[in-house]
Amino acid sequence: MIKIKLFGLFHVLAFFVIFLAYAVPVMATLGEPASSIESDRKAFSAVNRGTTPFKSYTVHEIYSPANTVREFVSPSGIVFGVAWNGLVPPDIAQLLGSYITEYKNALQHTPRQKGSRHQRVKSSALIVERWGHMRNLQGRAYVPALIPSGVNIDEIR
Amino acid sequence: MKSGNILLSLFFMLAVAGCGGGGSSSSTSANTTTASTTSPTSSISTTTTSVQAAINVLPITVNGAVCNAYQNEPCVDVTVCTPGTSNCQTISGILLDTSSFGLRIFKQALNVPLKQVSTASGSLAECVTFADNTTKWGPVQTAGVILGNEPAVQVPVQVIDYSFSSEGAAVCYNAEKSPSDAGFNGILGIGAFIQDCGSTCASSAVGEYYSCNGATCLGTTVSTNNQVQNPVPFLPADNNGVIIQLPAVPAAGSVSLSGSVILGIGTQANNSPSGVTAYPLNSVGEFNTEFNNVLYSGSFIDTGSNGLFFPSPYNASSGPYAGLLQNCTGTSNPYWFCPTSTTSLSAVIFGAATNAIGTTLPFQIGNFESLTASSSNRVFNDIGGSPNAGGNVFDWGLPFFLGRSVYIGIYGKSSSLGNGPYFAY
Repeated sequence: MIKIKLFGLFHVLAFFVIFLAYAVPVMATLGEPASSIESDRKAFSAVNRGTTPFKSYTVHEIYSPANTVREFVSPSGIVFGVAWNGLVPPDIAQLLGSYITEYKNALQHTPRQKGSRHQRVKSSALIVERWGHMRNLQGRAYVPALIPSGVNIDEIR
Repeated sequence: MKSGNILLSLFFMLAVAGCGGGGSSSSTSANTTTASTTSPTSSISTTTTSVQAAINVLPITVNGAVCNAYQNEPCVDVTVCTPGTSNCQTISGILLDTSSFGLRIFKQALNVPLKQVSTASGSLAECVTFADNTTKWGPVQTAGVILGNEPAVQVPVQVIDYSFSSEGAAVCYNAEKSPSDAGFNGILGIGAFIQDCGSTCASSAVGEYYSCNGATCLGTTVSTNNQVQNPVPFLPADNNGVIIQLPAVPAAGSVSLSGSVILGIGTQANNSPSGVTAYPLNSVGEFNTEFNNVLYSGSFIDTGSNGLFFPSPYNASSGPYAGLLQNCTGTSNPYWFCPTSTTSLSAVIFGAATNAIGTTLPFQIGNFESLTASSSNRVFNDIGGSPNAGGNVFDWGLPFFLGRSVYIGIYGKSSSLGNGPYFAY
């Protein structure tokens, strides 16, 4: 009897996990495994443009008419940085995943630098930077603690 | 001085004073005073060569009474009319912006009715993001726009109104609310392209334009005709580009400055190019800068940026400027450069075309904190900074324009300098 009950419970739990996976989009990507890039691609209605291996990381590029997003993946398969450029910036909540609250708090405390056409938002775990101009707005977000050793921050672009 | 010369001088002063940019500047401005646009003496000191003021001259004031929210803030007056009528208003404190396209005016500064641009099912509105992560939300409306003393042209403009449709806040995150938030009453984007978005927005709803019906706003495509666009290409004669003319300033800066936008390149007696080199721009308006042995292929010129912004060579491992230009240590100025003394540097400018020939461009960077702390000077040719790595971008902001005539050729138009888009100096 107990065996059957546990089996039933397992099925119920499995159902809930599967239900949640489809009902709530996986909020990728920073800090998440590379598999989360696919949820970004769907959320942005973007297409995969390809994966480029570098010495210490891999870059996955996804493209939509709005912008191109490049996701930097460590050898252990975790997204440690994202960079973008295009007509409009990508949805930052989709890109930052669980870092979004920390980012919004840091953004509120970032003084406005009128006249200087760039922005740098820094929190304890995360840095988000923007620059560029109309028709080519650019930016990047990265978690310094996740950057693989030997990789220069300026390679995230 | 002979009496004949005195009379001619007086006539000249009166003629220029009478023909200066719009007399009545009624606007809710970022700073509290409503100021006249240019003084007669300032007009004389700029490059007008004829006794009658030309129709294609739009005066610029840098850090005058109206636009003084931050260093190196260049503004113009623009006259805006209910389209097809002479019901007009001259609005001062409009930021002169060579890296954006189209006229945008805060609702608080606008006193004449404009004509809403319709979509198939509602009203056209726009959420436009700038490089500092500020956004501007509001309806797209047709206006008659008068630049200088040119005839009015009808173009779609953006009325910046964060309260337009209750859905605005959901669609356009953190949209700017007022002229004092921004530091200006509006923006005149007279860069090298016509529309703010272009052909992509005609075929894809990228999240810039929206169709609003009451409390609902949905992303939409929009034809290039209905997008917010640069008024210059629509002028009857002076429509192929602009010339930004600003005088030089001493290394310690100036309190304020007067200059001109000349409309048209090679279309009038006052805009014939000579002794300048043209540099083609790529499809998003960029060219190449080489600095400290690094190539910045996404470089651009921008009167709306208030300094020269480029990655610092301070931590570079090689190059002639490695170890120079440390950032300021004051907590409010972390990204500005604070070298111990004013530093002379140079870069090489190349057009976007392949096999382009480069031209050396010398420039200076001074200590931002000491330059801005001690005096009332607000206009500087030697302030710059390094906010971030900035990718492959060298932003030649307002300091680049001081002491020069800078030509901007518009996409799809041409002059003796070549086919747009290009810039020249």
